[in-house]
Amino acid sequence: MSIKKFRRWLDEPGNSVIFTGFSMFVAIVLAGILVPLFYKYGPNDFVGMPFERPGGEFLFGTDQLGRDILSRTFHSVYRDLGVAFLGVSIPFVVGTVIGIILGLSKSKKIIAVISSVIDGINAFPLLILAVALIAFLGPGLGSVVIILALTNWARYARIARTKAVVVSQQNYIEAAYTLGYPRRRIIRKHVSPNVSSETIAYALSDFILVILLVAGLSFLGLAATPPTAEWGAMISEGRAFIINAPWITLFPGAALCWSAISLAFIVEGISRREGKV
Amino acid sequence: MSTVDIKVNKTAEKGVDNRKVFAYRVGIRFIRAIAVAFWVTVIAFTLIRLAPGDPAQSRLGAAAEPEAVEALRKQLGLDVNPIQQFFDFFKNLIKGDMGISLQFDREVTDIIFTALPVTLWLIGFSVLISIFVAIPIALFVATSNNVLVAYIFRSTTAISIALPNFFIALIGILIFSIRYNWAPLLGYTPSFPENLKYLWLPALVNATTLVAILSRVLYSSISDTLKEEFVETGVIRGIKRPRFFWFYILKPSLAPTVVLLSYIMGVMLGTTIIMESIFALPGIGTELITAVLVRDYPTVQGITFIFGIIVVFFSFFGDLMAYWLDRRVKF
Repeated sequence: MSIKKFRRWLDEPGNSVIFTGFSMFVAIVLAGILVPLFYKYGPNDFVGMPFERPGGEFLFGTDQLGRDILSRTFHSVYRDLGVAFLGVSIPFVVGTVIGIILGLSKSKKIIAVISSVIDGINAFPLLILAVALIAFLGPGLGSVVIILALTNWARYARIARTKAVVVSQQNYIEAAYTLGYPRRRIIRKHVSPNVSSETIAYALSDFILVILLVAGLSFLGLAATPPTAEWGAMISEGRAFIINAPWITLFPGAALCWSAISLAFIVEGISRREGKV
Repeated sequence: MSTVDIKVNKTAEKGVDNRKVFAYRVGIRFIRAIAVAFWVTVIAFTLIRLAPGDPAQSRLGAAAEPEAVEALRKQLGLDVNPIQQFFDFFKNLIKGDMGISLQFDREVTDIIFTALPVTLWLIGFSVLISIFVAIPIALFVATSNNVLVAYIFRSTTAISIALPNFFIALIGILIFSIRYNWAPLLGYTPSFPENLKYLWLPALVNATTLVAILSRVLYSSISDTLKEEFVETGVIRGIKRPRFFWFYILKPSLAPTVVLLSYIMGVMLGTTIIMESIFALPGIGTELITAVLVRDYPTVQGITFIFGIIVVFFSFFGDLMAYWLDRRVKF
């Protein structure tokens, strides 16, 4: 794309916001790749005196054990965003498929049973179900992924089902049936793209929630546990020293806010593009 | 059910016997709430059985005596077949018995009833602050004709929804508790006016997100209402300002906000877990975390169940309120 074309694209409503958010997101992902590859200190190396101020040799300072905070902050990226990505993409796929099946299914019994299971799961706030399940699965980032896969699909299924019912009544679906296309092709080529456009939109904003959920659970000591480098766990560790050494908490917190805000900008830009403002 | 629905809608349009229609709609919604509550019970029941391996064994550790494991299995009601277990669980629930905490030698219902008021105070206070802040903001932004105002509003709210509340809470503590000493770091008194001293900072942190969400929804529904013809009529007839704002703009726009609010109050039960843990409030979230960390299964099960029921209850009343405010609402 030439610069001129890009400028014109930016002038369309919402695109500049999307671009800002996207660049912020790329920046943090790049930092999350480059720092573990090239930075001189590992996340769990004891490299300096405890509580060294930011600046000087350690750009972000050191924590209570003398570990480099910059290294720890950016080593967390793939953990936080990776777990959140898995925690969104698995439910997205499962939920969309179940939603489409429900939306097109003719059997009243199946619809009644599955949709009341969906209502039941959705009745619980995600965080509560996650905390309760951790009691039985044990703390850890792996458990968080399992929990999200077990519970979060219900929200996608509800959205996909509503959309699938609407789509299946459209004229082009009827036309496709009249043309004699097999049911599988109609679902694959006509129904699922229209349904997934709706669930993708939800997935983006859900990504923010899940990032905050993973960090929040780690903050409570239920997902990543020390000494793992993870934003929530780092914030929780730094809490005790927040008066004299606030940088231990502030840098991972800022990284967490940065990632969440970058995604929020993308979501905001997309809704401006669609003219919802 | 759908055919009946259509019939009812027709009578509603004709305006025949509205009270019956109202009762019917409420009844349908109530039956749905009961159905969801049933599934909430099933999920709370299944939780304990999802644990890999034997929950009794995993709590006591691999080195435990077989007799002790057997005794715990009996106490948790795991020694009979699953269907019998479910009926026992259900029977006990109706009697108000959720078992005895494995950690504290207290009834689970007792733990819940001492801790729940703290949480409800926190949620109520947060919601109250948010409503009083969100309504003027939304009214101002929706009635201003400046595009820039709307853009700034949308960007600020987008950011404040994305901010992690526990991080905001820590910054709040850093500023208000440590720097200025306006809020106590920990502690709690259950009596009414004194407890606000401990609750205002966590409630304010909750409100940062809540104000953003509420004012966004309110803003978009006010914008929709402003396009309605009756608003124009009101302007032409020269209705006085306060009356105009309340009856012509706000009341017809409130229904979606109320529905959302009831949903958000449920979600906030989750986020208060984090708030309570940061501010060391003796609420139900703190109890849940403690129970999870020591694998106190009956307590976890009981609290999860109560959370689910409260959410169902909230959303039922939210829908009722919305229908009462605006009869065009369908549920």
